[in-house]
Amino acid sequence: MIGIKEQEELFIDIGRALERKITAYAIGGTALMLHGIKAATLDVDIVLESEEDREYLMDTMRKLAYNDSDYRLVYKEAKKGIPMMLMGEKVRFDFFVNQVITASFSNKMKERADETHEFGNLTLKAAHPTDVAIMKSATDREKDDIDIEEIYKKSLLDWNILLDAAEEQVQLGNERAILDLGYKLEKLNNQKRIAVPKGFSDKLWKLLKKQVRGKRRKRT
Amino acid sequence: MKNTKYLRIAERLKGRWTVETLRKELGVSRNKAIYTIHRLRKLGYVKTWYGRNKVRVYYISLENQSHKKSYTDVINKYAPVGLAEWQTHYVYGREITAEEALIYALKKRDVRYTIASLALFRHIKDWSALYRMAKKEGLVHEIAALHEVARLFLKKLQRMPKRFYNLALKDKKSRKYIKDKSSSEDFKDIERKWKVDIPLNRADLSEYRGIAR
Repeated sequence: MIGIKEQEELFIDIGRALERKITAYAIGGTALMLHGIKAATLDVDIVLESEEDREYLMDTMRKLAYNDSDYRLVYKEAKKGIPMMLMGEKVRFDFFVNQVITASFSNKMKERADETHEFGNLTLKAAHPTDVAIMKSATDREKDDIDIEEIYKKSLLDWNILLDAAEEQVQLGNERAILDLGYKLEKLNNQKRIAVPKGFSDKLWKLLKKQVRGKRRKRT
Repeated sequence: MKNTKYLRIAERLKGRWTVETLRKELGVSRNKAIYTIHRLRKLGYVKTWYGRNKVRVYYISLENQSHKKSYTDVINKYAPVGLAEWQTHYVYGREITAEEALIYALKKRDVRYTIASLALFRHIKDWSALYRMAKKEGLVHEIAALHEVARLFLKKLQRMPKRFYNLALKDKKSRKYIKDKSSSEDFKDIERKWKVDIPLNRADLSEYRGIAR
C-alpha cells in the first residue's frame, strides 16, 4: 500500500530512469490519487498505448529492481486485457495496453483524461473519475464500491458521460458493460450510498433493450 | 493506526476552516481543535493562510501532501489576476521556469492566458532557452510582439536581448497570429512590425494599470 507522497516519489524515479518520453494513462486508484480523491492504493494501474511502450517502461523498471510478477496470482486465466505485472518493494504495478480486463480504454476515455502529470520523461494522464467508476463497476470488490461512492460524494460522477461510456463499451465488445453498471448503481442506490438521478435508470434500461434488440437481429 | 484516524478526518474535513469553525464541526474544545490541526499538518494535509484581521485559515486536503506544481500555479504567482484551470498540467520533481510557463500560456491560444502571461516577462532569465522553446513551437514572433506590449504596461521591464531580437526578426517559421481572427485596435504598429495579430486592447490590460507606466 502506498500513499500520495510515496506514489509521486516512485513515478519521479521512473521518469528519471526513462531515456525517452512515454505518455501513459493512470486508471483505478492511481488516477483517483492523482485527482486527490483517494489517499492510498494497493496497486498502480497504468494503460499504455502500444506494446513497445509497455516493454520499454517495464524494462526500465526492472533496472530499478522491480521484479516480474505472475498474473496467475491475481487472475485465473490468461486472456486479452490481463495486465503484465511488476512487483516493487511496497506496491504492484499492472501494465495494460488499451484493454483493461473486459473494458476497452477507448479514445474518448483518453480525451477525457485531461489532467496531465509530468514526472520527468514519464507523463501520466489521469483517467476521468467517471471512467474510473465505469471500470470499477465491473468488479465485485467492496473497495471498488467505496471508490465509486467517494467519486460520487465529491460530485465527480458525470451521469451523461456514464451513459455514453456504457454504450460505447458495448459497441467495443464489452457486452456486460450496461448490465454491470446497472447492477452496481442499483446496489449502491439501495444501500443509500449514492443517489441515482431520476430517469437515469430508465435511460440505462433503454440502452440495454437496444443492445438486446441488436443482438437478436444479428442472430436472425 | 492513529495516522489512519487522521486520514479519515482529513478526508471528511476537506476545505477551509478556522479554529472556531473546526471546533464547532468536531464538537471539541479549542485546544483539541488546535491539536487536530497540528496532527493533520504533520501528515502534510494542511496549508495555512491569513484571512481578514490576521485570522488563520487552514486548508485541509489530501492533495496538500503532494509536491506537484502546475504551469498555472507559476503563471498565477506573477500575474495580477489569477487563472482557474480545469485541464491542469502538473509537474513533479523539478521547478517550472518562467520561460516554460510563458510557452505553455501562449500554446493555450486563450486571451486570458495571454494577458496573465505578460507578467512573466519580468522573470525571464534564460532568453536563449526561451528562444529554443519558442522556435520549436513557432512562437518567436508572438513572444517578441508580446514583450513589446508588456513593456508598455510593466514598469522598468528591460528590453529583450539583442540576440533574441535579431533572431526573432529573421525567424520565418513563426505563426502569423496569436488567436485566430482576433487583432488589436491599439497595438497596430507592433502587429505590423512582427506580423502577428495581437488579440488584446489597452482595456484588456486594465489589471496591469497599477503597475503601468
